[in-house]
Amino acid sequence: MKESSRIERARRRARTAKVSLGALTALVFGVAFVGAKTHAPGHNKGKAQPLGAPSSFERAVRRSALQGGQIAPPAQPPAVSSSTS
Amino acid sequence: MKAATGERFRAMGCDIVVAGGDPATVAAVLERWEAAFSLFRPESELSRVNASPARVLGVSSLFTRALEVALDMVAETEGLVDPTLCGRWHEVVLSGRLLSRPPGLALDLNGVVKALAVDEAAATLDGPGFVSVGGDLAVRGPVDVALPAGGAIRVVSGGLATSGTASRGAHLVDTATGRASESCWEQVTASGATCLDADVAAKAGFLLGERGPEWLETRGIPGRFVGRDGEIVENGAWHYATEAVPACT
Repeated sequence: MKESSRIERARRRARTAKVSLGALTALVFGVAFVGAKTHAPGHNKGKAQPLGAPSSFERAVRRSALQGGQIAPPAQPPAVSSSTS
Repeated sequence: MKAATGERFRAMGCDIVVAGGDPATVAAVLERWEAAFSLFRPESELSRVNASPARVLGVSSLFTRALEVALDMVAETEGLVDPTLCGRWHEVVLSGRLLSRPPGLALDLNGVVKALAVDEAAATLDGPGFVSVGGDLAVRGPVDVALPAGGAIRVVSGGLATSGTASRGAHLVDTATGRASESCWEQVTASGATCLDADVAAKAGFLLGERGPEWLETRGIPGRFVGRDGEIVENGAWHYATEAVPACT
Protein backbone atom coordinates (compact mmCIF):
# COMPACT_ATOMS: atom_id res chain seq x y z
CA MET A 1 0.00 0.00 0.00
CA LYS A 2 2.80 2.33 0.89
CA GLU A 3 4.59 1.48 -2.39
CA SER A 4 1.37 2.17 -4.28
CA SER A 5 0.97 5.54 -2.54
CA ARG A 6 4.49 6.60 -3.48
CA ILE A 7 3.88 5.65 -7.10
CA GLU A 8 0.56 7.46 -7.04
CA ARG A 9 2.24 10.65 -5.69
CA ALA A 10 4.95 10.41 -8.32
CA ARG A 11 2.32 10.04 -11.05
CA ARG A 12 0.44 13.11 -9.69
CA ARG A 13 3.64 15.15 -9.70
CA ALA A 14 4.39 14.02 -13.22
CA ARG A 15 0.83 14.88 -14.34
CA THR A 16 1.06 18.33 -12.73
CA ALA A 17 4.41 18.92 -14.34
CA LYS A 18 3.06 17.92 -17.79
CA VAL A 19 -0.01 20.14 -17.42
CA SER A 20 2.14 23.06 -16.24
CA LEU A 21 4.59 22.57 -19.07
CA GLY A 22 1.71 22.40 -21.59
CA ALA A 23 0.09 25.55 -20.18
CA LEU A 24 3.41 27.39 -20.20
CA THR A 25 4.04 26.32 -23.80
CA ALA A 26 0.55 27.49 -24.84
CA LEU A 27 1.07 30.80 -23.04
CA VAL A 28 4.47 31.41 -24.65
CA PHE A 29 3.04 30.49 -28.06
CA GLY A 30 0.07 32.86 -27.57
CA VAL A 31 2.23 35.78 -26.50
CA ALA A 32 4.66 35.19 -29.37
CA PHE A 33 1.77 34.88 -31.85
CA VAL A 34 0.11 38.13 -30.79
CA GLY A 35 3.47 39.90 -30.64
CA ALA A 36 4.40 38.75 -34.13
CA LYS A 37 1.00 39.78 -35.53
CA THR A 38 1.33 43.19 -33.94
CA HIS A 39 4.89 44.03 -34.80
CA ALA A 40 5.46 42.11 -38.02
CA PRO A 41 2.14 41.80 -39.84
CA GLY A 42 2.12 39.61 -42.88
CA HIS A 43 0.17 42.20 -44.88
CA ASN A 44 -0.83 45.88 -44.61
CA LYS A 45 -4.18 46.21 -42.87
CA GLY A 46 -4.50 49.92 -43.66
CA LYS A 47 -5.73 51.45 -46.92
CA ALA A 48 -3.14 51.30 -49.68
CA GLN A 49 -1.44 54.63 -50.30
CA PRO A 50 -0.42 55.71 -53.82
CA LEU A 51 3.30 55.71 -54.41
CA GLY A 52 3.19 58.94 -56.45
CA ALA A 53 4.13 62.40 -55.20
CA PRO A 54 1.53 64.44 -53.28
CA SER A 55 -1.00 66.15 -55.55
CA SER A 56 0.11 69.62 -54.40
CA PHE A 57 3.64 68.83 -55.57
CA GLU A 58 2.44 67.50 -58.92
CA ARG A 59 0.30 70.61 -59.39
CA ALA A 60 3.21 72.90 -58.64
CA VAL A 61 5.45 71.06 -61.09
CA ARG A 62 2.77 71.06 -63.77
CA ARG A 63 2.29 74.78 -63.44
CA SER A 64 6.03 75.34 -63.30
CA ALA A 65 7.61 78.26 -61.52
CA LEU A 66 7.07 81.95 -62.06
CA GLN A 67 8.37 82.80 -65.50
CA GLY A 68 9.63 86.06 -66.86
CA GLY A 69 8.09 87.72 -69.89
CA GLN A 70 9.75 89.18 -72.95
CA ILE A 71 10.48 92.90 -72.96
CA ALA A 72 12.54 95.16 -75.20
CA PRO A 73 13.37 98.84 -75.63
CA PRO A 74 10.34 100.91 -76.72
CA ALA A 75 9.92 101.61 -80.41
CA GLN A 76 7.01 104.04 -80.42
CA PRO A 77 4.91 106.18 -78.09
CA PRO A 78 3.32 104.10 -75.31
CA ALA A 79 -0.20 102.89 -75.99
CA VAL A 80 -0.94 102.24 -72.33
CA SER A 81 0.72 102.68 -68.96
CA SER A 82 1.51 100.26 -66.16
CA SER A 83 0.76 101.53 -62.70
CA THR A 84 -0.50 100.44 -59.32
CA SER A 85 -4.27 100.04 -59.22
CA MET B 1 3.90 100.46 -86.58
CA LYS B 2 1.09 102.64 -85.35
CA ALA B 3 0.47 102.67 -81.63
CA ALA B 4 -2.60 100.66 -80.69
CA THR B 5 -5.40 102.75 -79.26
CA GLY B 6 -7.80 101.08 -76.94
CA GLU B 7 -11.40 101.19 -75.83
CA ARG B 8 -11.70 102.41 -72.25
CA PHE B 9 -14.27 101.60 -69.59
CA ARG B 10 -14.50 100.85 -65.87
CA ALA B 11 -14.72 97.42 -64.25
CA MET B 12 -13.40 95.70 -61.12
CA GLY B 13 -12.99 99.18 -59.63
CA CYS B 14 -10.28 99.95 -62.21
CA ASP B 15 -9.77 101.68 -65.53
CA ILE B 16 -9.84 99.11 -68.32
CA VAL B 17 -8.19 99.52 -71.71
CA VAL B 18 -8.78 96.97 -74.47
CA ALA B 19 -7.15 96.96 -77.89
CA GLY B 20 -7.52 94.31 -80.54
CA GLY B 21 -10.68 92.74 -79.19
CA ASP B 22 -14.33 93.21 -78.34
CA PRO B 23 -14.69 95.35 -75.18
CA ALA B 24 -18.07 93.75 -74.40
CA THR B 25 -16.51 90.28 -74.39
CA VAL B 26 -13.70 91.46 -72.15
CA ALA B 27 -16.21 93.19 -69.85
CA ALA B 28 -18.19 89.94 -69.57
CA VAL B 29 -15.05 88.00 -68.59
CA LEU B 30 -14.12 90.58 -65.94
CA GLU B 31 -17.68 90.66 -64.57
CA ARG B 32 -17.66 86.87 -64.20
CA TRP B 33 -14.54 87.04 -62.05
CA GLU B 34 -15.74 90.03 -60.04
CA ALA B 35 -19.11 88.42 -59.38
CA ALA B 36 -17.37 85.39 -57.91
CA PHE B 37 -14.55 87.02 -55.96
CA SER B 38 -15.44 90.58 -54.99
CA LEU B 39 -15.27 91.09 -51.23
CA PHE B 40 -17.51 94.14 -51.70
CA ARG B 41 -20.39 91.99 -52.92
CA PRO B 42 -22.04 90.01 -50.12
CA GLU B 43 -23.53 87.61 -52.68
CA SER B 44 -20.16 86.74 -54.26
CA GLU B 45 -18.97 83.19 -53.77
CA LEU B 46 -15.89 84.37 -51.88
CA SER B 47 -18.01 86.47 -49.48
CA ARG B 48 -20.32 83.49 -48.89
CA VAL B 49 -17.39 81.15 -48.28
CA ASN B 50 -15.85 83.57 -45.78
CA ALA B 51 -19.19 83.98 -43.98
CA SER B 52 -19.88 80.25 -43.76
CA PRO B 53 -19.40 78.58 -40.36
CA ALA B 54 -18.90 75.19 -42.04
CA ARG B 55 -15.43 73.65 -42.00
CA VAL B 56 -15.87 71.88 -45.35
CA LEU B 57 -17.60 73.51 -48.30
CA GLY B 58 -18.33 72.67 -51.91
CA VAL B 59 -17.05 75.38 -54.25
CA SER B 60 -17.40 76.16 -57.96
CA SER B 61 -14.84 75.14 -60.56
CA LEU B 62 -13.84 78.81 -61.02
CA PHE B 63 -13.28 79.15 -57.27
CA THR B 64 -11.28 75.92 -57.26
CA ARG B 65 -9.10 77.13 -60.09
CA ALA B 66 -8.38 80.50 -58.45
CA LEU B 67 -7.64 78.95 -55.06
CA GLU B 68 -5.36 76.32 -56.61
CA VAL B 69 -3.40 79.08 -58.31
CA ALA B 70 -3.30 81.09 -55.08
CA LEU B 71 -1.95 78.10 -53.15
CA ASP B 72 0.63 77.44 -55.87
CA MET B 73 1.71 81.07 -55.72
CA VAL B 74 2.01 81.22 -51.95
CA ALA B 75 4.32 78.21 -52.13
CA GLU B 76 6.24 79.71 -55.03
CA THR B 77 6.74 83.01 -53.18
CA GLU B 78 7.65 81.33 -49.89
CA GLY B 79 4.52 82.63 -48.17
CA LEU B 80 4.70 86.23 -49.40
CA VAL B 81 1.55 86.30 -51.56
CA ASP B 82 -0.78 84.53 -49.14
CA PRO B 83 -4.56 84.05 -49.69
CA THR B 84 -5.11 84.04 -45.91
CA LEU B 85 -3.05 87.23 -45.39
CA CYS B 86 -1.91 85.82 -42.05
CA GLY B 87 0.45 82.94 -42.80
CA ARG B 88 -2.19 80.23 -42.21
CA TRP B 89 -2.37 79.04 -45.81
CA HIS B 90 -1.20 75.56 -44.73
CA GLU B 91 -4.63 75.15 -43.08
CA VAL B 92 -6.45 75.59 -46.39
CA VAL B 93 -6.94 72.28 -48.20
CA LEU B 94 -8.58 71.65 -51.56
CA SER B 95 -9.68 68.17 -52.50
CA GLY B 96 -11.39 68.27 -55.86
CA ARG B 97 -14.11 70.85 -55.40
CA LEU B 98 -14.23 70.50 -51.65
CA LEU B 99 -12.62 73.26 -49.63
CA SER B 100 -11.58 72.63 -46.04
CA ARG B 101 -10.38 75.40 -43.74
CA PRO B 102 -10.97 76.39 -40.14
CA PRO B 103 -14.23 78.36 -39.85
CA GLY B 104 -13.46 82.04 -39.48
CA LEU B 105 -10.26 81.86 -41.53
CA ALA B 106 -11.09 84.38 -44.25
CA LEU B 107 -9.64 84.09 -47.74
CA ASP B 108 -8.62 87.02 -49.93
CA LEU B 109 -7.92 85.95 -53.50
CA ASN B 110 -7.33 89.45 -54.84
CA GLY B 111 -3.64 88.60 -55.07
CA VAL B 112 -4.33 86.42 -58.10
CA VAL B 113 -7.92 87.04 -59.28
CA LYS B 114 -7.36 90.28 -61.16
CA ALA B 115 -4.37 88.89 -63.04
CA LEU B 116 -6.21 85.65 -63.86
CA ALA B 117 -9.08 87.73 -65.22
CA VAL B 118 -6.67 89.77 -67.35
CA ASP B 119 -5.07 86.63 -68.79
CA GLU B 120 -8.47 85.13 -69.59
CA ALA B 121 -9.66 88.38 -71.13
CA ALA B 122 -6.50 88.63 -73.27
CA ALA B 123 -7.19 85.13 -74.58
CA THR B 124 -10.43 86.43 -76.10
CA LEU B 125 -8.67 89.03 -78.25
CA ASP B 126 -9.16 88.58 -81.98
CA GLY B 127 -5.61 89.52 -82.92
CA PRO B 128 -2.68 91.66 -81.79
CA GLY B 129 -3.61 93.91 -78.89
CA PHE B 130 -3.75 94.04 -75.13
CA VAL B 131 -5.97 94.12 -72.08
CA SER B 132 -5.04 96.45 -69.23
CA VAL B 133 -6.89 96.35 -65.93
CA GLY B 134 -5.76 99.15 -63.69
CA GLY B 135 -2.30 99.09 -65.23
CA ASP B 136 -1.77 95.30 -65.07
CA LEU B 137 -1.74 94.03 -68.61
CA ALA B 138 -1.46 91.02 -70.86
CA VAL B 139 -0.50 91.44 -74.50
CA ARG B 140 -0.88 89.62 -77.78
CA GLY B 141 1.88 91.00 -79.91
CA PRO B 142 4.31 93.80 -79.00
CA VAL B 143 2.89 96.78 -77.08
CA ASP B 144 4.78 99.82 -75.81
CA VAL B 145 3.97 100.66 -72.22
CA ALA B 146 4.69 103.74 -70.13
CA LEU B 147 6.28 103.02 -66.76
CA PRO B 148 5.87 104.52 -63.30
CA ALA B 149 8.20 107.45 -62.64
CA GLY B 150 8.86 107.91 -66.34
CA GLY B 151 10.23 105.84 -69.16
CA ALA B 152 8.71 103.13 -71.31
CA ILE B 153 9.35 99.60 -72.51
CA ARG B 154 8.03 97.30 -75.18
CA VAL B 155 6.23 94.25 -73.86
CA VAL B 156 6.91 91.66 -76.57
CA SER B 157 4.88 88.85 -75.02
CA GLY B 158 3.30 87.86 -71.71
CA GLY B 159 2.24 90.43 -69.15
CA LEU B 160 3.40 93.40 -67.15
CA ALA B 161 2.23 94.41 -63.69
CA THR B 162 3.03 97.04 -61.11
CA SER B 163 2.50 96.77 -57.37
CA GLY B 164 3.08 99.32 -54.69
CA THR B 165 1.67 102.08 -52.59
CA ALA B 166 1.39 104.86 -55.15
CA SER B 167 -2.36 104.83 -55.70
CA ARG B 168 -3.96 102.92 -52.82
CA GLY B 169 -1.46 103.56 -50.04
CA ALA B 170 -0.03 100.74 -47.94
CA HIS B 171 -2.42 97.90 -48.83
CA LEU B 172 -0.04 94.99 -49.37
CA VAL B 173 0.08 92.92 -46.20
CA ASP B 174 3.30 91.55 -44.78
CA THR B 175 2.13 88.10 -43.65
CA ALA B 176 4.99 87.87 -41.15
CA THR B 177 3.59 90.80 -39.15
CA GLY B 178 -0.04 90.84 -40.35
CA ARG B 179 0.30 94.56 -40.97
CA ALA B 180 0.67 96.70 -44.08
CA SER B 181 4.10 96.25 -45.59
CA GLU B 182 6.70 98.95 -45.02
CA SER B 183 8.71 98.27 -48.13
CA CYS B 184 11.60 100.45 -49.19
CA TRP B 185 9.97 100.57 -52.64
CA GLU B 186 7.09 102.73 -53.75
CA GLN B 187 6.34 100.78 -56.92
CA VAL B 188 7.66 97.56 -58.41
CA THR B 189 7.04 96.59 -62.02
CA ALA B 190 7.68 93.04 -63.23
CA SER B 191 7.44 91.29 -66.57
CA GLY B 192 5.99 87.78 -66.60
CA ALA B 193 5.13 85.03 -69.04
CA THR B 194 1.53 85.87 -68.10
CA CYS B 195 -0.11 88.75 -66.27
CA LEU B 196 -0.44 86.39 -63.29
CA ASP B 197 3.29 85.72 -63.21
CA ALA B 198 4.03 89.43 -63.57
CA ASP B 199 1.57 90.44 -60.85
CA VAL B 200 2.76 87.85 -58.32
CA ALA B 201 6.40 88.69 -59.08
CA ALA B 202 5.74 92.42 -58.63
CA LYS B 203 4.00 91.84 -55.29
CA ALA B 204 6.76 89.54 -54.06
CA GLY B 205 9.44 91.99 -55.20
CA PHE B 206 7.68 94.79 -53.34
CA LEU B 207 7.16 92.81 -50.14
CA LEU B 208 10.77 91.58 -50.07
CA GLY B 209 12.11 95.14 -49.93
CA GLU B 210 15.85 95.31 -50.56
CA ARG B 211 15.97 91.58 -51.42
CA GLY B 212 13.38 92.09 -54.18
CA PRO B 213 15.68 92.76 -57.15
CA GLU B 214 17.87 89.74 -56.42
CA TRP B 215 14.86 87.47 -55.75
CA LEU B 216 13.43 88.27 -59.18
CA GLU B 217 16.84 88.06 -60.82
CA THR B 218 17.44 84.50 -59.60
CA ARG B 219 14.16 83.51 -61.25
CA GLY B 220 14.98 85.27 -64.51
CA ILE B 221 12.16 87.76 -64.05
CA PRO B 222 12.78 91.32 -65.23
CA GLY B 223 11.96 93.77 -62.44
CA ARG B 224 12.06 97.55 -62.09
CA PHE B 225 11.92 99.15 -58.65
CA VAL B 226 11.02 102.75 -57.86
CA GLY B 227 12.24 103.76 -54.42
CA ARG B 228 10.47 106.10 -52.05
CA ASP B 229 13.00 108.75 -52.92
CA GLY B 230 12.31 108.30 -56.64
CA GLU B 231 15.47 106.34 -57.34
CA ILE B 232 14.96 103.69 -60.01
CA VAL B 233 16.65 100.29 -59.67
CA GLU B 234 16.53 97.72 -62.47
CA ASN B 235 17.60 94.14 -61.93
CA GLY B 236 19.92 92.52 -64.46
CA ALA B 237 17.17 90.78 -66.40
CA TRP B 238 15.33 94.07 -66.90
CA HIS B 239 18.46 96.05 -67.68
CA TYR B 240 19.80 93.69 -70.35
CA ALA B 241 16.39 93.23 -71.99
CA THR B 242 15.76 96.96 -72.34
CA GLU B 243 19.26 98.14 -73.04
CA ALA B 244 19.30 99.98 -76.36
CA VAL B 245 21.71 98.26 -78.74
CA PRO B 246 23.79 100.81 -80.67
CA ALA B 247 23.23 100.63 -84.39
CA CYS B 248 26.08 99.26 -86.49
CA THR B 249 28.01 101.94 -88.32
